[in-house]
Amino acid sequence: MDFLELLADSEFSYWLSVSMAGFPTLIALHSVGMGAAVGLSMAVTLRLHGALPDLGRFPVQRLLDVAMWGFTLNLVTGLLLFITRGPEYLASGIFLLKMLLVFIGTALLLVVRQRVRALASGSGALLDDGMARALSLVATVAWFGAVVTGRLIAYLSDLYR
Amino acid sequence: MSETLFQWIAYSPLADWVVSESYIWPTLESIHFVSLCVLMGSLLVVDLRLIGVFREPCARTVAFMIRLSLLAFAVNLATGVLFFFGYTAKYVNNPAFEIKLTLIALAGLNALYYRWRLADLVSTREVTRSSIAVGCISLALWSGVIVCGRMITFYAP
Repeated sequence: MDFLELLADSEFSYWLSVSMAGFPTLIALHSVGMGAAVGLSMAVTLRLHGALPDLGRFPVQRLLDVAMWGFTLNLVTGLLLFITRGPEYLASGIFLLKMLLVFIGTALLLVVRQRVRALASGSGALLDDGMARALSLVATVAWFGAVVTGRLIAYLSDLYR
Repeated sequence: MSETLFQWIAYSPLADWVVSESYIWPTLESIHFVSLCVLMGSLLVVDLRLIGVFREPCARTVAFMIRLSLLAFAVNLATGVLFFFGYTAKYVNNPAFEIKLTLIALAGLNALYYRWRLADLVSTREVTRSSIAVGCISLALWSGVIVCGRMITFYAP
C-alpha cells in the first residue's frame, strides 16, 4: 500500500493526471482496446455457438490473437491509469469487481484459445468442443460485465469526483 | 437558428427525462459502451478479412457481422442522441464531438465504397490493395471515433 501511495504521489503520476497525453489519452486508448478484446470475444463465442458457420479454425485463431492484442493494450493503459490513484482504486468495491470479471474473461479466453489451437482443422470441429463453447460464453459475459462495471466506477466510487 | 434549436433540445421533455433520475445516465452510458464493443467486434471481423489477416471465403459471416454492426450503431446512435438531449451544452461547440461526427460520416462513406466495389471479394480468397485500404481506413476511423468519444468530456466548453 505504501508503494502504491508512493507511486500515486510521484511526479510521473502527477504528469499522467494533468497532461492531455496522460489520463485522457490513456482512457481513450483503454476504450479502443476494450472494443477489440470484448468485441472479438463476442465474435468467437458467436462462431463457437454456430452463428458464423463459414468461419474456419484459422480465422478464429487470428481473431483470438487480435483480441489478446486488444487486451494487452488495455493491460498497459490500465496499469498506467492505476498508478495515478492506486490506493483509491483498491478501496473501490466496483473496481475490484471489474478486476475479477477481467480476470475471469482473460483466463477463460486464454483457455479457449488453447483449445481452438488444439482442434483439428476444418470448421465443423469448432462446434464439437462443448467445453470451449461454454467457456467462451462465460468469458464474453464476464467481459461485458467488466465493461459495465468499468463504466460505473465513476458513479459508484469516489474516484473522478 | 441553431441556437434556438439547441435551446429547444436542452429544455425539451426528453432532456428532462434523461437527467430526471440518477440511474438513467449511467445506464445509458453502460448500454452505449456495450454496444460500442459489439460494433467494434463485428467490424473487426469484416476489416481483418478485407486486410487479409485471414483469407478464407466467409460471405455469410461478413453479412451477419455487417447486420450486427448496423444494429449496434443504431443503439449507439439512440443513446448518443439521448446524451445530446440530456447535456446539450457539453456537446455544442465541442471539437472532440465535432471530429467524432466527421469520422462517423467518413466511416459511412468508406462502408458505402465497400458495398459498391468490394462486397463480392469476401466470397473468394482474394485480397486487393483496395480491400486492404478499406479495412485499414475503417479500423482507423472507428478507433478515432472511440478516442474522440472519450475526449468529449475533456474538451467540453
